[in-house]
Amino acid sequence: MSDHSKPEWHLMMPIAAMLLFPIICYKIGWDAIDSSIFIVAIPLVVWPAIAIIGQVWKKTDWWKNHLKEGGIIALAALAVSLCLTVWLIISFLKDHGSFGAQDSDLASFAWLNFDILAHDGVSWEILGTEKLGFTIGFGIYVDALTLMLLFVAAFLCFLIGWFAIGYMTTDAVNEDRNHRFFAEFLLFSCGMFGMVLADNFLWLFIFWEIMGLCSYLLIGFYWEKPSAAAAAKKAFMTTRVGDVFLMVGLFILYDLYHSLSFEVIFDPAIIDTVDPERLRLALIMMFIGAVGKSAQFPLHVWLPDAMEGPTPVSALIHAATMVNAGLYLVARMFPFFGAAGFEGEFTDVALLIAWIGGITAIMAAAIAFVANDIKRVLAYSTMSQLAYIFTGLGAACWFANTGHPEYAALAFGAALFHLFNHAMAKGMLFMASGSVIHEMHHAHHHAHGGEDDGAGGSEGDDHFDAQDMRNMGGLAAKMPVTSVAMMLGSMSIIGIPLIGGFWSKEGIIGQAWHAAISQDGGAMLVPAVLLLATAGMTGFYMSRMWFMTFAGKPKSEVAKHVGEDTHWIKTPLVTLSIVTAFTGAIFAVLNFPEWLGEGEELMHGIESHGLAEQVVAVLEHTFLPHESTLMAVGWTAIVISAVLGPFLAARIHGGKLARGEQANAFVGWLVQISGSVGRTNVDEVAKSGFALALHNRLYIDDVYEWVIARTVLPLGRLLAWFDSSGVDGVIKGIESGSQASSSWLRLMTTGSARDYILMAAVGALCIFALMWGVA
Amino acid sequence: MIPPSWIAGLAAILFVIGLSGAFSRKNAIIVLMAVELMLNAVNLNFVAAAMHHGDLTGWVYTAIAIAIAAAEVAVGLAIFLSLYSQHDTISLDEVTLLKH
Repeated sequence: MSDHSKPEWHLMMPIAAMLLFPIICYKIGWDAIDSSIFIVAIPLVVWPAIAIIGQVWKKTDWWKNHLKEGGIIALAALAVSLCLTVWLIISFLKDHGSFGAQDSDLASFAWLNFDILAHDGVSWEILGTEKLGFTIGFGIYVDALTLMLLFVAAFLCFLIGWFAIGYMTTDAVNEDRNHRFFAEFLLFSCGMFGMVLADNFLWLFIFWEIMGLCSYLLIGFYWEKPSAAAAAKKAFMTTRVGDVFLMVGLFILYDLYHSLSFEVIFDPAIIDTVDPERLRLALIMMFIGAVGKSAQFPLHVWLPDAMEGPTPVSALIHAATMVNAGLYLVARMFPFFGAAGFEGEFTDVALLIAWIGGITAIMAAAIAFVANDIKRVLAYSTMSQLAYIFTGLGAACWFANTGHPEYAALAFGAALFHLFNHAMAKGMLFMASGSVIHEMHHAHHHAHGGEDDGAGGSEGDDHFDAQDMRNMGGLAAKMPVTSVAMMLGSMSIIGIPLIGGFWSKEGIIGQAWHAAISQDGGAMLVPAVLLLATAGMTGFYMSRMWFMTFAGKPKSEVAKHVGEDTHWIKTPLVTLSIVTAFTGAIFAVLNFPEWLGEGEELMHGIESHGLAEQVVAVLEHTFLPHESTLMAVGWTAIVISAVLGPFLAARIHGGKLARGEQANAFVGWLVQISGSVGRTNVDEVAKSGFALALHNRLYIDDVYEWVIARTVLPLGRLLAWFDSSGVDGVIKGIESGSQASSSWLRLMTTGSARDYILMAAVGALCIFALMWGVA
Repeated sequence: MIPPSWIAGLAAILFVIGLSGAFSRKNAIIVLMAVELMLNAVNLNFVAAAMHHGDLTGWVYTAIAIAIAAAEVAVGLAIFLSLYSQHDTISLDEVTLLKH
């Protein structure tokens, strides 16, 4: 595969040139927040260009080799967005967060004007915009939450785009259609940027739907595969269920506040002036929307199937963008819970959020125990980790609503911090799994004469599954970069102390338990226990995935012949490895969660008592909290997730590499340990009924299928019948009736002049007779 | 002087003769003649009405109608000529170009 391995760094030149964009903006006198409209606008303008140019010139050499079938253009657009995002963050921090909500009145153009029909006691009249100010325009709303998510999205989209160039353009099955991939990819990114930046719920919803559309298109990228087409449809329909609820929620919200703008709704003077009963309904509806988008129980069924898409899409949907949209929406709902006038009103909604999170966390983790498809393990892990964040947000909402804003801020910060850590780690894990799949696939083709089977990257004509971990094993020796990246990502997700997700996960579990043990918090106990149990399960299934893939001896012939080559895949992995390994600790020291949660300045800890003191304080806060329950919970979580889970996984799935093979120093120790902890045979357990139920995803999909087959489908058939025979019947009746009568009337035109004269005469007589009668 | 009602009666008789001729004959030229007959019956009616009312307008109409009828006959005969040159017949039973 020497043709892919030659360095292609010169192709990055146009992307480097894009770094000048913010500088130009600055030179012509725009500040960061003025320019931030381009974060959305550039991808929005560029994606149709890729689609059109690619469609016309897809066969040409310059398009394929110099523009990488549009990938370079997409990456350049994402580079602009990323640069502008960084600039926005820097200027935000320089002002110490002074342009928050108050600096957001940047409605660039009025887009929708609502004319309201109002009754003034005498008559109905239309009140124009100028009277009531009901204008919805697109504006930018920037606060810490926006910036955090925007950075996550922009950074990951950029790296995933980079990865996608390597992944997509070397796959023969994608020949001549990658321009579609990159165009949709870019539109998807645009949707995420827009959703995060929008300053009102309407635009949030519009971009939300753009993402829904793109996820449909991207999951179904291999549309010729029936399973991919079905998965795309499933994802679209399932999220649509949530979207309808979200829409209803927004209707109620508009009805209550007569506005959808954050600035109006979240104004402290306005927020608690409405009827809490109806607002509760709106909140629940919006939460259901978030549940659909973030794949939480019971609307989670689409996410594992969404793995049918290309791996960069999995990374994009599951890490960077779409699933975070639901979390973002719930985080945006947070001020409702903290409003003074609503204290104690919405504890049930907060509990609902926490419970849904807890249930999803443990359910997804359990299913991940038995999943053998490497991407599906990650998909279930995503569901489980998102559920953590939901529970954290639920705890935050609960604290806020019961009058403990200080704890609410802690939980909120921890939840969003986990969102950050999880997005980085999971984005990398998906890319690493993509690297594995890609190489397995290529090795398979080399082993079988290099003929492409056209099956879209997962199965060949002999039903070899490049994504099945039972075909892997021992890859640590052959894929050094990927194995290290995968290890760091898994550690972050598991919560190995000091790495990535540990800092935030401890915070979430701690705050959930804190809520459970505080006054009237008994109902929080269930999600808290579930989260704690899930922590251990996470340790098991993530380790299991790693050991099955990288440790032990190759379990198939193909796995002996893999290797990694293209820098397009390696570079993002290395970048994200560093980010995942260190940002958790660094951000914890920088008071990142507090910054997110309560608007504290970043680094206020360091500024107030020095770096060393701050490090000690953070460590003490994490490992030795003052409250004894929290300490017990924290250490339980550490022990079961970092020791017990990986230990069990190593006993079941670990093993030394094949003779003569050597893993690099970063992962070699892990392989060694996994080979020397002994072995447990779990074949009996794996055959038990519960394992079977987990294999079948706890039959939730089957229940849905059963219910849908009995309700929706008959209704659909009835409506189809009504449509074809009722609605169409009328139209077709008119059509065929006039057809028949005209063909009958046509018989009167005999062509004989005498008949015409007769008709004229008879007609004239009739007219005379009529006139006679009238006169 | 002949009373207008007699003229109107003659016009009615001529019209019926023309109408039945137009119905019953095959030859296009004879049908054209029959049509002319009906036209002139109408002209007679104009004259009768003009006499009855003592108004010149009816006479003027008649003059115009005769002039137009002359032109119309010319057009009609031209059509028949062209018909004959293409179909070798001017029998109305055989010419059914306007059939559905």
